Amino acid sequence: MFQENEARRVFFWREKLGPRLILFLILSLFLVFGLRLWYLQIYKGDYFARQSEDNRQRRLALYAPRGRILDRDDRLLAINEPSYSLAIVREDCKDIGQTLSKISRRTGVPLQDIRENYELGKKRVKPFNNQVIIPDISFSQLAHIQGHAQHLPGVHIVVRPRRHYVAPEALSHVLGYVAQADERELITDTELSPGDNVGKQGLEAVLEQRLRGDKGLKQLEVDAVGRIIREETLVSPRPGEDVRLSLDLELQRKVYETMQGKAGGVAVMNPDNGQLLALVSSPGYDSNSFVRGLSSKKWKEMINDPRHPLQNRCIQSTYPPGSVFKLVVSACGLMLGELKPDKEIYCSGKYKLGRRVFRCWKKRGHGRVDFERSLIESCDVYYYKLGEELGVDRLSDFTRECGFGEKTGIALPYENSGLIPDRAWKREKYGEPWQGGETLNMSIGQGSVLVTPLQVARYVSALLNGGWLYRPALILSREKLDPEKIPVDAKVRNMITRTMIKTVEEPHGTAWRLRTPDATIGGKTGTAQVIKLMEKHEDKDLEEIPYRFRDHAWMASFGVKGDKRYVVVVMVEHGGHGGSGAGPIVKKIYDFLFSEKE
Amino acid sequence: MFDRRLIAYINWPILGLLFILFAAGVLNLYSASSLRLEEGVAVTPIYKKQLLWGAVALGGMLVCMLFDYRHLSALSWYIYVVTIILLICVLWYGKTIGGSQRWLDLFFFNFQPAEAAKVSILILGARMLSRVEGLVGWRDLLKICVAVAIPALLIIRQPDLGTGLSLILFAGGMIVYCGLRAGVLRAIVILLPLVLPFGWLFLHDYQKERILTFLNPESDPLGSGYHIIQSKIAIGSGGFWGKGFLEGSQSQLRFLPEKHTDFAFAVFGEEWGFVGAILLLVLFCALLYQIFLISLEAKDDFGRYLCIGVFFYFFWQIVVNIGMVLGLMPVVGMPLPFISYGGSASVVNFCLIGLVLNVSMRRFMFKRK
Repeated sequence: MFQENEARRVFFWREKLGPRLILFLILSLFLVFGLRLWYLQIYKGDYFARQSEDNRQRRLALYAPRGRILDRDDRLLAINEPSYSLAIVREDCKDIGQTLSKISRRTGVPLQDIRENYELGKKRVKPFNNQVIIPDISFSQLAHIQGHAQHLPGVHIVVRPRRHYVAPEALSHVLGYVAQADERELITDTELSPGDNVGKQGLEAVLEQRLRGDKGLKQLEVDAVGRIIREETLVSPRPGEDVRLSLDLELQRKVYETMQGKAGGVAVMNPDNGQLLALVSSPGYDSNSFVRGLSSKKWKEMINDPRHPLQNRCIQSTYPPGSVFKLVVSACGLMLGELKPDKEIYCSGKYKLGRRVFRCWKKRGHGRVDFERSLIESCDVYYYKLGEELGVDRLSDFTRECGFGEKTGIALPYENSGLIPDRAWKREKYGEPWQGGETLNMSIGQGSVLVTPLQVARYVSALLNGGWLYRPALILSREKLDPEKIPVDAKVRNMITRTMIKTVEEPHGTAWRLRTPDATIGGKTGTAQVIKLMEKHEDKDLEEIPYRFRDHAWMASFGVKGDKRYVVVVMVEHGGHGGSGAGPIVKKIYDFLFSEKE
Repeated sequence: MFDRRLIAYINWPILGLLFILFAAGVLNLYSASSLRLEEGVAVTPIYKKQLLWGAVALGGMLVCMLFDYRHLSALSWYIYVVTIILLICVLWYGKTIGGSQRWLDLFFFNFQPAEAAKVSILILGARMLSRVEGLVGWRDLLKICVAVAIPALLIIRQPDLGTGLSLILFAGGMIVYCGLRAGVLRAIVILLPLVLPFGWLFLHDYQKERILTFLNPESDPLGSGYHIIQSKIAIGSGGFWGKGFLEGSQSQLRFLPEKHTDFAFAVFGEEWGFVGAILLLVLFCALLYQIFLISLEAKDDFGRYLCIGVFFYFFWQIVVNIGMVLGLMPVVGMPLPFISYGGSASVVNFCLIGLVLNVSMRRFMFKRK
């Protein structure tokens, strides 16, 4: 029985199960692999076809040279020179960690910096394409890498144009600079790849799209070790547009030179179209150092520098205008009928409002003062009285219509609008009602009034050009500007400009330092208190007062010679008196302007 | 001594399949060994060598057909002992290539005793199984296991995991085909899953890594996952019709590793597409089916198990190799019969087909003996 059972089992296994097992194996071999082949080759065929193309075809960017920046006479301000960057093709590197540390050793660039760049680019650059890990290497570093090229598979030198600024310090605030694109810029701008430079400040940032141009594309067919088999240009790069500025390089240099050692801002404007011939902020900084890449230590130094070299003082810093503001307040008085030009006021050196006493800068007083004398000798008492009569509401409205308290709209980033205080502002800021004394302070350009040098230049231009408040222009173009008009009629404008000329020409005029033979110069000084003038500093010489307590020196001026007209505004931080602190600088600028072209 | 009928009984289909497969292999090798350079395509003469080996292998096959296979049964133990000695010799005197000590330098060529071990296990296994009465019991199983384990372990020591495993795999296939007693079957079904994890402990680090990257190839796309990824890209990018002969960019541009040995099928799939790969698969299945048919016709158990052994020998190689190339199995160095480049392997493959033909030729000849 058992025997029979066993025999049946053996028979069953040998004759049925075994052969069926074999057939089953053959069938499943075919079905499983057949299905897998179908899945890989048909179902996912397109996907793998693309992968295989990616494998052998690498795309290289052909860099477009950034548009050059020229001055009004086609002198070069910003150009491109070749620079060398180090890039790796990740897929060609056997061991990326080792490659990076080798690179670090050969170039002397800290491994951490290289790693940071590597991590930044890893997400964006395909493994078969060049990924820049050290933008901008020096010739000696280049030599070290080239010499060991055979030990560094997958490491490439990429030649690309790099920005160079001809006058890096004088033009630093206007042109700004380009620097390596950061994480945020790479996310928002998909055309950028790691290692690319992008405009960060000034015109470089504002004109980024015009200057940048479009990258081209080169396709390479390579084998597995990265050897190039074939290459083809798919898209030619489109160079960036050249941009011509209204600036005059020689003038800009000259002005920057004159401001050497001082902190302040200078604007030289053509009053008839608002074009800037020079826009200088001092101290400047070396914009080329940003292009080469600034170490974080140097960056911190720059940020913490008490002289704030990164600040563009013409548009980003605001100052109390001091007596320069009298050009606006007097126009307001004349226009609104509160000021009769011939009416005289007695200045005893003091003006009382309630229990408070407001003092004139001239302790002994100016005596009898009419409109002309009030501007020429810059009598404070005259304006205290005018201010009281005008009231803060009318005064601040008028001032705003003259372009203060708002951005001029110049094509530079981070412009400050300044501040024209009024009742609403006071209530919001301090929760207190407006005090009459504040109106008095405001009418001599003190208190909370804050303006930028460029706003002053624009206003003075409007006085000269028929009342047009142009948007200050840096870029030469035929674009029709659409200016606003200041609410000052021709008669009043003439009165003010005539008085400004007298301020220069009359012996008691505060701007006498500007006197220039053969040219008509008009000016108005300003001495803006930084803090409430302390008694103890009052009689001291400028040098004896600590720097940060010294007054800001202003000079707003215009000069006419033949058919040339210029507006020059100079503001020297802690420069002391307007006439002595800013006057000589303005004088030098006119000397240059009027001598140069002859 | 020579009988005309022998020629009449030669299994022509199997011979035909053999030649088609070998021709396809050489053609594929021609492409796999060519490189696309700037100047055009350069071909290294590997395919010529393979042709030369093919001639040698053909000779070996004829030799394997000439004598009556039943003599092998009697000689099987002697062959086995000689093989073991050779394997031990390799451990001491072997030539080291690529980190493993597999070759014996026989002056005119390098000989892999592991290849011989496959043949001898095949013959010994067939003999042992043919002597089993009824189904395989514990005692028979133990005997066979020891006989297989000795050479298998020696080979894995070299280290050559692929060949060692294939030894165990095809011996196992033969045993299962022969049939197991109910108790043995039950015990194996329960114990095998318990024992396998311990095998993990005996693997080299690189072997463990291969298995881990098989499970997740993207974890190390440049290291051990590279082979699988590039191989899948090669196969997949072939599409339906393939990129055409000598047009496979994956292999021509050397993205594909080991393309003339272990990954030869990927080259084939890339250049000949779905159509070509399926055709090749059909050829392999047909060959296996023919071997199976011969085993059914064999007139004695020894011949039958010999054929089944050859069947499993090819079957496992095809499964492991194509499975690896298609990303279904971990990377284990196992060539694809007739398609991959390899001298000793070709000779062994042809000889084994020769044995199958031998069995087939002599299926009616028993009375003569």
